[in-house]
Amino acid sequence: MIRVELVSLLRSRRTWATIALVDALPVIVAVLLAVTDLGPRPGTGPAFLSAVLTDGTLYPLAALAIVLPLFLPIAVAVFAGEAIAGEAQQGTLRYLLLRPVGRTHLLIAKLVGVMAFVVLTVLVVAATAYLLGIGLLGHQSVTASAPGTASVSGTSLSTPELVARTFAALGYAMLCMLGVASVALFASTLVRSPLAAAMGALALLVGSTLLLTLDAADPLKPYLLTRYWLAFVDLFRDPILWHDLVRGVLLQLGYVVVFLGAAWANFATKDISD
Amino acid sequence: MTRGRGTGRRWLLVALVALALTAGPPLARAVPTRPVDIDAGTLLGRVQAAEDRPWSGLVETTGTLALPDADQFSDVAALFGGSTRMRVWWRDADHWRVDQLSTSGEQDLVRTGDRTVRWDYERLQARFGEEPSVRLPRAADLLPTELAARMLRGAGPDDVTRLPARRVADRTAPGLRLVPASPRTTIDHVDVWADADTGLPLRVEVYDASGRFLTSEAVDVDLATPSEARVSFTTPPGAGVERDDVLDIADAANQYAPLIAPQRAGGLEADGSNGAVGVYGTGPEQVVAIPLRDREADALRDQLGVTPGARQGATGTRVTVGPLGVLLTGAEGEGGLLVAGTVTPPTLHAVARDVIAGYQYVGVPQ
Amino acid sequence: MKVIRTEGLTKRFGRITAVDGVGLDVREGDVFGFLGANGSGKTTTVRMLLGLVLPTSGTVEVLGEPMPARRASVLPQVGALVEGPAAPPHLSGRRHLALLDAAGPGSRRTGRAGRVDDALEQVGLGGVDRRPVRTYSLGMRQRLGLAAALMRRPRLLVLDEPTNGLDPAGIQEIRRLLLDLNAAGTTVLVSSHLLSEIERTCTRVGVLHAGRLVLQDDLASVCGPTGLLVVDTPDPHLAARLLVGRVEAVDGERLLVRDQDAASVNAALVGAGVPVRSLHAQRRSLEDVVLDATSRQAIA
Repeated sequence: MIRVELVSLLRSRRTWATIALVDALPVIVAVLLAVTDLGPRPGTGPAFLSAVLTDGTLYPLAALAIVLPLFLPIAVAVFAGEAIAGEAQQGTLRYLLLRPVGRTHLLIAKLVGVMAFVVLTVLVVAATAYLLGIGLLGHQSVTASAPGTASVSGTSLSTPELVARTFAALGYAMLCMLGVASVALFASTLVRSPLAAAMGALALLVGSTLLLTLDAADPLKPYLLTRYWLAFVDLFRDPILWHDLVRGVLLQLGYVVVFLGAAWANFATKDISD
Repeated sequence: MTRGRGTGRRWLLVALVALALTAGPPLARAVPTRPVDIDAGTLLGRVQAAEDRPWSGLVETTGTLALPDADQFSDVAALFGGSTRMRVWWRDADHWRVDQLSTSGEQDLVRTGDRTVRWDYERLQARFGEEPSVRLPRAADLLPTELAARMLRGAGPDDVTRLPARRVADRTAPGLRLVPASPRTTIDHVDVWADADTGLPLRVEVYDASGRFLTSEAVDVDLATPSEARVSFTTPPGAGVERDDVLDIADAANQYAPLIAPQRAGGLEADGSNGAVGVYGTGPEQVVAIPLRDREADALRDQLGVTPGARQGATGTRVTVGPLGVLLTGAEGEGGLLVAGTVTPPTLHAVARDVIAGYQYVGVPQ
Repeated sequence: MKVIRTEGLTKRFGRITAVDGVGLDVREGDVFGFLGANGSGKTTTVRMLLGLVLPTSGTVEVLGEPMPARRASVLPQVGALVEGPAAPPHLSGRRHLALLDAAGPGSRRTGRAGRVDDALEQVGLGGVDRRPVRTYSLGMRQRLGLAAALMRRPRLLVLDEPTNGLDPAGIQEIRRLLLDLNAAGTTVLVSSHLLSEIERTCTRVGVLHAGRLVLQDDLASVCGPTGLLVVDTPDPHLAARLLVGRVEAVDGERLLVRDQDAASVNAALVGAGVPVRSLHAQRRSLEDVVLDATSRQAIA
């Protein structure tokens, strides 16, 4: 089932259309930056966006900071919200279960499928951003006397280090989508409409983003879905600040355990009457 | 196999797992600390002895004061009115590095001897300068170690009482409460929790009459001495380099105003300053007096004037924000003396009067 | 051997009892007609047989194993069409069948294309091209659904309204296919609300009414002769006088006569000069049987 899910994902025109949409925003931003040469004022705008004007190789990270808070999770919520409810609405869920595909197996296959979509999207975004950064934005290697890139902490990062940390950041961003995917998957087993399932997950996303800005919500913050998303920036401090990254990974795994568990609890003996 | 039973059991399992995951971390933090048998005086001695002890870690501070956000003072307003995260590497008082973290960058301060480098990632800029003798508060001043040292300076065993120990940065930290005896201070009390073994302050809470207004806590602590490389700074490739002659408005006034502030004001002793800016008092009662030129004074006066609770008096404009009193003497176009500190309004006025009366005028420095 | 056996099968949705104490009994080699009006609980029962809906109480055994506990070993031997066919609209029929086959356990890649082709051929979709399912007609979708059910040469076919959307020629084609499969050893359960369809294909019949199984028997015995003869004559009065004592009812020019021997009645009538248009033994129609069973249920 997992293989079928991956094949269907790769062959679906919708997958690539969604990836293209997610990818469009960093492309637009890159073009605008290249044309105007205006970076955001310090303290505003996504991370790394001012740095890319001098060093285009950082643009994959800026692109990540652009799509991570909103675009990517929306796409993930839509995909995962569709997982079960979409099959049910289309009528194919009963035939899959009759094939027979085990119900728990189906849930896991769907989660794997959604995460495969995330990996694909992030890699495409990063690759386009790299090419745009090299082609349109700053050329650090030409202007600097010493090779390397400034870390956020003002030390010098060698190119291999920068590449390794960039890939770590991409991996972390992918992991961050696990929570949204699990919540949407759970919602997808709960309601009949894929749209409602996606909206459910998005409600949690928006709620979490909002509560993060509220001092009164301090005790809740360590549990909020989006709390550690932007911690990938910590990978570019020197030395790497693991504090939030570790918590971010644990939090996402916690979301997977609880919401995939809830999806399983609900779905394993659910009456399939669509 | 009917739906009711199996489903119920599965939901119960999921609920238990969810409960364990959410309640786990708080419970782990609530693990009782090992008993600490130490009296307040001994603990105070240990904390004072641990001043400038080497350590490194991660610090979070929260301030709740809504200071007037005037141009030259906006960093100070942000510091006391919001949350700050800092990474710290501390070898000794003259060799340390404090990185102020934000989600999109860092503003770092690296102190090597009497030289200070300020690194701003988002501006991709390193600014080198001398460490001034007088300056405005900055993030590094809010480290629990620095805050505790400042507040406990001059305190004796009779000024402090013991608080129950708590778990801070996964260490057992016995607590100490300082209630200032002086009637001049607006600070009600200061609570300090310090590492049981080393006396390193790990958490500080500062209260005024209406409650807590400043908290500083080390959430991660490493007691090993950080390496020398960690507290040095080499400009990275592509970054701009600048030299700062003055750090901030207090430093500028101190260096360039043709004045020398008196050694005593409002009944408080000067705290080792010999420039135009006077810093008086120690511990919880501290007040600074900065002479301002017309332009700076007018801008600040306008800002203070529209701050809720501002009082216009014969001496000048006075604003009270929590425990902090701010007094700007003079009127439009006259310049003025800015007096600010954690002291009562009468002390504020007394300091202003004494400083203005006690200024020695000197020639403009070369 | 029992292919399907349920005992006291009951399903409640909240306060509504959709299926109430049903004891189905389908034997190997049966073409079992499962009759019931829309809303009688037919589909819910079928879903419970297949483990899609879990019973509130009662037991289900399919192919000798309890369901849904053993669905992993039972379902590979069952082909099903439940409440209409379904396929992702953007895939071709061939691709849909291949993916569905690959999704389940124990499917090998070798020979998959052949299996897909065979199944399509069986339902008359052999010539289908790469068009996506969304362009299919209702009948083509129905055939595709049947092909999916036939893919793994099941021992038991459970078909819910299999001829839905087909034209008369198509219906006949599918009926022949089912009979061929049955002759080759496949047990078939067909659920339908169309009496005529069941009457023409099935060997056994079960009737569900308001969640209860009101009738379950061999078609031959429930639709057997009634022991009456139907006489159609232009002169019913004379005929009635002649057959006095044996006439059960007169309806215009039709008489119902209690007699087993058609030949002697015919001889008597013709001998007495009564013209006879037709004369045949009366059989109960399935419709009568069902109406009878359901009305008895209603009174009870």
